[in-house]
Amino acid sequence: MKILENLTKINRRYIFLLVALAVIIPLIVPMKLPTIPGKYTVKLYGFIDKIPPQSQPILIAADYSPSMMPELQPMLEAVIRHCFAKGIRVVIMTLDPNGAALSEEALKKIAPEYGAVNGRDYAFLGFKPGSSIVMMSIGENFRQAFPTDFYGTPLDSLPMMNGIRNYADVPLVLSIAGSAITQGWIAYAHTRYHANVGAGCTAVSTADYYPFLQAGQLVGLLNGMKGASEYEYLNKKNGYSSAAPVATKGMNAVSIVHLLLMLFIILGNIGYLVTRHNQSKK
Amino acid sequence: MSTNIWVWIAALLSLAIFSYLYKDNPAFRFAEHLFTGLSVGYFIVLYWNNYTLPYIVTPLVNHRWITLIPMALGMMYFFRFIPKLNHLILIPIAISLGFWNGMSIPLTFEADVLKQIQGTMVNTSMLTNIWDPQKGLMVGLLVMVGVISTITYFYFSREHKGPIKVTANVGIWFVMIGFGATFGYTVMARVSLLIARMQFLFTDWIHLIK
Repeated sequence: MKILENLTKINRRYIFLLVALAVIIPLIVPMKLPTIPGKYTVKLYGFIDKIPPQSQPILIAADYSPSMMPELQPMLEAVIRHCFAKGIRVVIMTLDPNGAALSEEALKKIAPEYGAVNGRDYAFLGFKPGSSIVMMSIGENFRQAFPTDFYGTPLDSLPMMNGIRNYADVPLVLSIAGSAITQGWIAYAHTRYHANVGAGCTAVSTADYYPFLQAGQLVGLLNGMKGASEYEYLNKKNGYSSAAPVATKGMNAVSIVHLLLMLFIILGNIGYLVTRHNQSKK
Repeated sequence: MSTNIWVWIAALLSLAIFSYLYKDNPAFRFAEHLFTGLSVGYFIVLYWNNYTLPYIVTPLVNHRWITLIPMALGMMYFFRFIPKLNHLILIPIAISLGFWNGMSIPLTFEADVLKQIQGTMVNTSMLTNIWDPQKGLMVGLLVMVGVISTITYFYFSREHKGPIKVTANVGIWFVMIGFGATFGYTVMARVSLLIARMQFLFTDWIHLIK
């Protein structure tokens, strides 16, 4: 009983150490835990997969900063790989000033792998301040918000932007964000302009978006590193990508840490109940 | 091991931050202050390049004098530091509040309230596939019971006794399950950040992982 009572008094440094080991060991020692794609990842993947090649582009809003990079960058890269492999055109923009460098980095890394060309297969619009004003402007015309792309080329000079005016010409708006900005895309792009909106978010904000899925306001959702790993799995399964699955490697460690934390929670509760029982006896 | 000096600096600073988990120490405080200072410097440059330069300086250089109006409104926020003219700060606040509320209230109300209420309603289309995990009748009923009981739990205008107490107690369970899901996802998010740092240390720095 003394041992059980002491469970609530373990020095937190031992817990930190165990968590560190639970992260490091799965990274060093390769594990092959199964990846089972979630329903909402499959829905988003299927939606993108059905877009005809070399037709209207999807709009990706990469609205995140480096602090959210571990979860959202693999997600963006997996979606870009899927699109390039299928010949689906991509327009990337950001409403976060930090997002421009991150999304450009992803494009510069992946475009050569698939022979994708700027202006023909993808357009990079860069950053624009104003969040909801930009979302509303795109509803009227892309050129109102972005007269030129990130490199200063007028949008009309980009072959893939011919005939692409507003949300009516993009089959999907994918908001990859670590903040509530996705709710802005739902309110302005979906509610006002009836665009199909999909989301990729950090795990912290995932629970906030389930009501939007339930109400049919989102076509699909990628949740944190898990969503990114599921997308990587689907890409690999369909032969769209041979790149190292960054998020999948991380998910092995996430699974082990989750098991460890569940054990801590159970032990902590046992210790608490035993302590309370002993105190009530006294 | 990496031969890149910047990788070494990043790795040593990461270790300095992690050292706080053992106890507070000068290495951690150095890294913390360095991060704060660098962040301020980074954001000043970022905002100058992305906001001030393209939307104020460049238009003014090109004689687009209309830029002076929003610029003046923005500058009025600095009246906060002049006690005698302090009240003038209300002008830009009133303009921005009026503009944003007018633009966002109708759409946000529709997206966050009306559509959400619609999403909790049970309708006849749910009868076609009762057990469908997204659109089936059982899920519809579960959502409806969850919403009503949770709202009842937060209804404080009457004492919680009798049927209200029973419903509120059911609501507590839904709230707890919601908190549990949020906590689980929060753990996943935080662990993901730790994993990324470990991947950097073991891949980019000491090359232990290929």
